[in-house]
Amino acid sequence: MAALRALGWGLFFLAIWELLARVSAQDVLLSGPSDIAVHISGNVGLLARATLETSINAMWGFVWGNLGAVLLGAVIMLVPRSERTLLALALLVFCVPLIASGPILRVLFGTGTGPQVTLGALAVYYTTLLTFLIGLRSVSQNWTDLMRIYGRGALSTLIRVRARASLPYLFVGLQISAPAAFLGAMIGEFTGAERGLGVLTLRAMRGLDTDATWTLALVAALIAMAAYTVLGWLGQRVVGYRPVVLLSAPASSGPRTPWAALAEIGFIVFLVLILWQASMDVFELNRFFAKRPGDVWTFVMEPQNRSTLLSALGETLAFAAPGYVAGLALGAGLAVLLVLSPRLSTAAMPVAVALRAVPIITTAPLLVLAFGRGLVGTMVVVAVMIFFPTFVACQQGLRQTPGQIVDVFRSYGAGRWHVLRAAQVPAMLPAFFASARMAVPAALLAVTTVEWLATGKGIGVLMAMTASTSNYNMLWSCVVVLAIVATAVYGIVAGIERAVLRIYASEQVT
Amino acid sequence: MASVDIECSDASKRFGATEVVAPLSIALKAGQTTALVGPSGCGKSTILRMIAGLEDPDTGTVMLGSEPPRAVARRGGLAMAFQDPSLLPWRSVRANIALGAELARKPAKDVDALIELVGLGGFAGHRPAELSGGMRQRAAIARSLISAPDVLLLDEPFGAVDAMTRRRLNTELPPLWRSRGATVVLITHSVQEAVLLSDRVLVLSPRPACIVADIAVDLTGPRDAHLLETTEALALSREVLSALEGV
Repeated sequence: MAALRALGWGLFFLAIWELLARVSAQDVLLSGPSDIAVHISGNVGLLARATLETSINAMWGFVWGNLGAVLLGAVIMLVPRSERTLLALALLVFCVPLIASGPILRVLFGTGTGPQVTLGALAVYYTTLLTFLIGLRSVSQNWTDLMRIYGRGALSTLIRVRARASLPYLFVGLQISAPAAFLGAMIGEFTGAERGLGVLTLRAMRGLDTDATWTLALVAALIAMAAYTVLGWLGQRVVGYRPVVLLSAPASSGPRTPWAALAEIGFIVFLVLILWQASMDVFELNRFFAKRPGDVWTFVMEPQNRSTLLSALGETLAFAAPGYVAGLALGAGLAVLLVLSPRLSTAAMPVAVALRAVPIITTAPLLVLAFGRGLVGTMVVVAVMIFFPTFVACQQGLRQTPGQIVDVFRSYGAGRWHVLRAAQVPAMLPAFFASARMAVPAALLAVTTVEWLATGKGIGVLMAMTASTSNYNMLWSCVVVLAIVATAVYGIVAGIERAVLRIYASEQVT
Repeated sequence: MASVDIECSDASKRFGATEVVAPLSIALKAGQTTALVGPSGCGKSTILRMIAGLEDPDTGTVMLGSEPPRAVARRGGLAMAFQDPSLLPWRSVRANIALGAELARKPAKDVDALIELVGLGGFAGHRPAELSGGMRQRAAIARSLISAPDVLLLDEPFGAVDAMTRRRLNTELPPLWRSRGATVVLITHSVQEAVLLSDRVLVLSPRPACIVADIAVDLTGPRDAHLLETTEALALSREVLSALEGV
């Protein structure tokens, strides 16, 4: 019965879609299901080969990225002192937009699938690392005491207790990261691959082929959602339940003075520079394209270069900021509104969770087609990229409001708005800020990708141009600047988060 | 298995500004059972955790025989049952009990006998989530016994167990650990249980814990519920109670 109803809704949706496409046929913005079907039937072979290529690259990226995350998580558990440094490095790498690291990887790897797989891995590792760490820590102190009572150390505890306890969380991480691997692989293909869905998307965009753009976005979205669904099902089968996970880096522990924090930042920067220089020297990478920290410094110190870089960055931030704020506000706002209508909320949740799984970048060309190549189009892509994760996280946050607290309000006859304002919204704040932080790199990724693909402005297009004109000093400088900006904004959001949570959820702030 | 003395010399513990255990010196004889009784929050569990090597004393030392607690732990000579059963939810009752032997690197002999002894026959294949609180606690007690430890630490292990089962376990478990020569330290809130199960009762003051009464339990005859009705046992219970009332 439920399947029949779903089928009915599906057919209804397709009919409306087709109708809209027919009505707006002059606008060349919307392709209907029939147009997509015609496009698929005429390009079955090409689409199948491209889909297979992208899927294989995404799968390898998924495997390597997640293996890396599991390994990092295990090291952090075995050597707790390494945690702050490793997490800071992991965050820094995560903050570099994929579209920025893509051209560099292309230069380093040359042709082939290296960049696609690496970007797939880079797109997934941080999400999995965070969820895995939450899982590894989800053990009661008595369990770890039990291990110590029998004289067992960190390794034994990791293998016997933490690894198994983390499984449900690991599956959540794997599930969320599956679409991201697809996104990474496609971005890798944008940066100069020979085959794959990303290559076809670029071609379709440049040729203003609406039917092809719609088909490719649909195929990419369906595959990513299928991977998300399959992993969710597998997790349910293996561990039996799905924990609610707040995607947030673990809070720093212990009191810190500003000087200690500054020293730590200095140490991390020093470490990054050493690793950067050493990796280039050890592999004897050609200085023509593999720029060292010194090269970038010298380049950026030239006033003309700096001015080009900063003006492009200014354009990018001007486009990213409104989209970031709009995405967060819409996500949180809708989540709050839906609390007032529990039935609507129950219906909206699965749709939002499913749409969160869609790698938004694959639909960016459609949004740009619909909203234009200017501020509005870019803002919409950024907002949509951020909206779904924020909405889902805020919904989960609202549901975490302790029932007893709500009961206390109700026992005094408080109305829905009162409960919402005084109990539920404060309970949502940790989830909201966790989303706001994770959305910083996502917003920069979205804006630079749209710039790269469509708008012709900002640091995204500067990177595209410098990559094609072999101006590698500028390319590396763009990457460094983006990483610094993303990490700094992430840090600022984290600072605001701590200040707000200290008031509304002091137990969350260590 | 070797019998092991427990010796605390001026062992104290504080958490931040709060002194939880005042410098404490006690010597517990190998193979004996000692009960710690005292008001809630007085530091009993902290003393047990120092003996287990889970907390390092701020001053003084804790030795189990000639070794520090962690050395005994490493050779599988320690076991503890916590107030909370702390079973691993993904393991069956049998696997949870066998975990005690596995961690102590000893063969998991007598698992079935222990399962029967703690009244979990028929539940060996069940997961902890399928058991009541009392049943889980019994599985945790069995886990602490399976490795035949030299030192057995029991932190209110019978708190969640129903009255009938508690009475049966009070009778059937002590002969088991006594026959194996284990040195046992037991925390309980039941004065009668302390008298029934132990050879010695230490009454502790409110925080910071120090010993206010050291009462030898010198009872003859089988240790069962009937023993508690004897004049000697009643007198001992009164002595412990009055020591508790005095703190």
